[in-house]
Amino acid sequence: MQFPGQGKPPTGIVFDTEMGRTIDEALALAMLYGFDGKNEARVVSVSISNPDLRAAAFCDAVGRFYAGATSPEVRAFSHGLPIGLSTDPKVPSADTPMIEATLSKATYEHDIQTLNDTADPTPLIRNALTAQYDQNAVLICGGPATNVAKVLDLPGAREVIEKKVRFLCIVTTKFNLKTDLSAARKVFAEWPTPIVAVGQEIGEALPFPGASIERDFAWSQSHPIVEAYRAYQPMPYDAPSWTLAAALYSVHSKDGYFNISDPGSMTILEDGSTKFTASADGKHQYLILDPAQKERIIETYAKVVSAKPVARQPQFPLKKAAEAAKAAEDKAVEPVVPYVKLPTPPK
Amino acid sequence: MIITRKVLARRTFLRGIGTTIALPFLDSMVPAMALAGTAKKAPVRMAFVYLPNGMDMTGWHANYEGPLHDLPRTLKPLEPFKDDITVLGNLTHNAGRALLDGAGDHGRCCGSYLTGVQPRKSLVDIKAGISFDQIVANQIGNQTRFASLEIGLEDARQAGDCDSGYSCAYTNNLAWRSETQPLPPVLDPRALFERLFGNGVVLSPEARARQGRYRRSILDFVTSDTQKLETSLGPTDRRKLDEYLSSIREVERQLEKAEKDNSQIDPHMEKPYGVPADFAEHFKLMTDMMTIAFQADLTRIMTFLVTREGTSRSYREIGIPDGHHPLTHHRNMPDLIEKVAQINNYHMKQFAGWVEKLKSIKEGDGTLLDNSMIVYGAGLADGNKHLHEDLPTLIAGRGGNFIKSGRRVVYRKETPMCNLFLTMMDRMGVHTEHFGDSTGRLEGLDLT
Repeated sequence: MQFPGQGKPPTGIVFDTEMGRTIDEALALAMLYGFDGKNEARVVSVSISNPDLRAAAFCDAVGRFYAGATSPEVRAFSHGLPIGLSTDPKVPSADTPMIEATLSKATYEHDIQTLNDTADPTPLIRNALTAQYDQNAVLICGGPATNVAKVLDLPGAREVIEKKVRFLCIVTTKFNLKTDLSAARKVFAEWPTPIVAVGQEIGEALPFPGASIERDFAWSQSHPIVEAYRAYQPMPYDAPSWTLAAALYSVHSKDGYFNISDPGSMTILEDGSTKFTASADGKHQYLILDPAQKERIIETYAKVVSAKPVARQPQFPLKKAAEAAKAAEDKAVEPVVPYVKLPTPPK
Repeated sequence: MIITRKVLARRTFLRGIGTTIALPFLDSMVPAMALAGTAKKAPVRMAFVYLPNGMDMTGWHANYEGPLHDLPRTLKPLEPFKDDITVLGNLTHNAGRALLDGAGDHGRCCGSYLTGVQPRKSLVDIKAGISFDQIVANQIGNQTRFASLEIGLEDARQAGDCDSGYSCAYTNNLAWRSETQPLPPVLDPRALFERLFGNGVVLSPEARARQGRYRRSILDFVTSDTQKLETSLGPTDRRKLDEYLSSIREVERQLEKAEKDNSQIDPHMEKPYGVPADFAEHFKLMTDMMTIAFQADLTRIMTFLVTREGTSRSYREIGIPDGHHPLTHHRNMPDLIEKVAQINNYHMKQFAGWVEKLKSIKEGDGTLLDNSMIVYGAGLADGNKHLHEDLPTLIAGRGGNFIKSGRRVVYRKETPMCNLFLTMMDRMGVHTEHFGDSTGRLEGLDLT
């Protein structure tokens, strides 16, 4: 909830992704909550395009982990974000060990047992956008564009998107585009705002450092992203970062992390590859990696993904909630999981 | 009255001086050859019973889906009718949320409840949207004497600030004829009575009081027509007619009692002259007349704003002197939550009384309740947190053998409440592609 007179809040992020097929998406979700904790963005909607209930439960568990730091006064008047879950079978199941490794631990609470515990992603995304200031939302599409394309079909949704969304940042890996080719083509043809594409090459050039998992999360005895990362494949490994890059650009598009192409028009080919044709009035652009920024980007990944949960701002100005938030301002608080310092692994 | 054919016209009236009484659905109104056919089908009616300040949701939610068995506390009074109700979960009104307009959830939730749009935050420049009951009324309202009826029990002020900059027009009305024209509810039972059975002249309270001293039953004025009609009816219809006229007489008695009681108390009270002091009596009187309005097919569409949204009314009659709205902001204090639960339960008891009445009236092969869709709900879920999702909603009746009742049906989160309205519009014979923020029809509600 946003109130006039409180100033324009940071960008509202609508995050629609696949969850479970790669570790990248889980890292991106954590990074977005990290930015949220730093008050550099607000996660206003989370939805997934693969029809896996357990993947939705994973997203819920991660959200609750980060919300756990919220003060009781604020928590009393807040409620968790529902997780949007597609039921479209076009996107293959991604119920992988990284999901189960996290959910099997009682430490990570979630509230998703049946389909009715999740939200229909299309009204969820539309409704989240209606609550944002004009041009103050960014939609990240980290997986196949199944859900995003369906939002376009809701009556009145295009007007809402045009008014509220600054740009759509979409991961254009071959897998994503080919998995739901018609959705991807519809989005590139009909989406009413600028689109920024994150290509296959970006994620492969910017691996998330596996060493960060051992080094930067020592403040927490247990962390859902660490569990997921370790279970995803045998350690040590670095992970390609398509959705992470999309998340970083979406929150800090003007901070020089990436270069961006001239405008043009992107066409999706049958095999899931893309063809870009430059044109001055085109609405599409794509990210270009500046090698000089590579180290900075990877450092930012590690720093924000591993950031401690921070007490959220109150949702409305109740005196008690406001006082509680003021006390917590700029101060990282301990998560609900007890803090136990782990030994630093040898370098 | 002149009866010129063997089949009684559906629009037959008993007329007398200043009185017009429509008749209920009688067997004699059906051609003999059509008794087993479609012509016997009674019309489908819909009504909305709106409760303010949300609910104690712990008392509303059953912890299961499917056939209703153990009803939670708030729903307990409906135990005898659990086969006739359908409890819906996870319906959401996004238009009731702040959406950048700050405080004022009470103003928004009521203003958006049937309109499906976010009302403009203003005290004078009011704007919401045409409510879906009025869309239906515009389409089928010409088939009945009244396109729709708007009823309430508490406050029909249309001006002033009723919630953080939202006009009282938003908190005190459910039905909106246009974006800028709400339809204020009738609070005064005598005014409703005169509207239903009078000749269109609404008397002032003083004139009514004078008339009351010499009052005769309206049935006295239609004796001649009644006698003529009875001679043409079979025994079943005669019994039906007798029961129907008795129910009108019973309403008159309740009105007379309320007016007599009110003459004993301060005449400067704001309350209209004929409003019973007791909430339960007022509720019963109004719903008795609503029953007659449905039974006689005077209208097929009604909205009932039980009390205005955000009300701070107290309920001393059940030992609760505190204001309803302050109680709902209970700060998780168990004694305050208990009082909210008692108020919710008290409202439901009154509603159960109306459901019982509707169920007792035979109509065609079923009952008046079977042919109705009575939505009972609130524009807020948890009144403490002001939540606009998972709104407490149930439907009494089967909408003319359409709804598979006796169940709790839970939808996915963020399912628009407007999807229910779209489904109900279909059932009322009015078809449109979308309404408000609807994303489609509600699945799983019908018998299929």
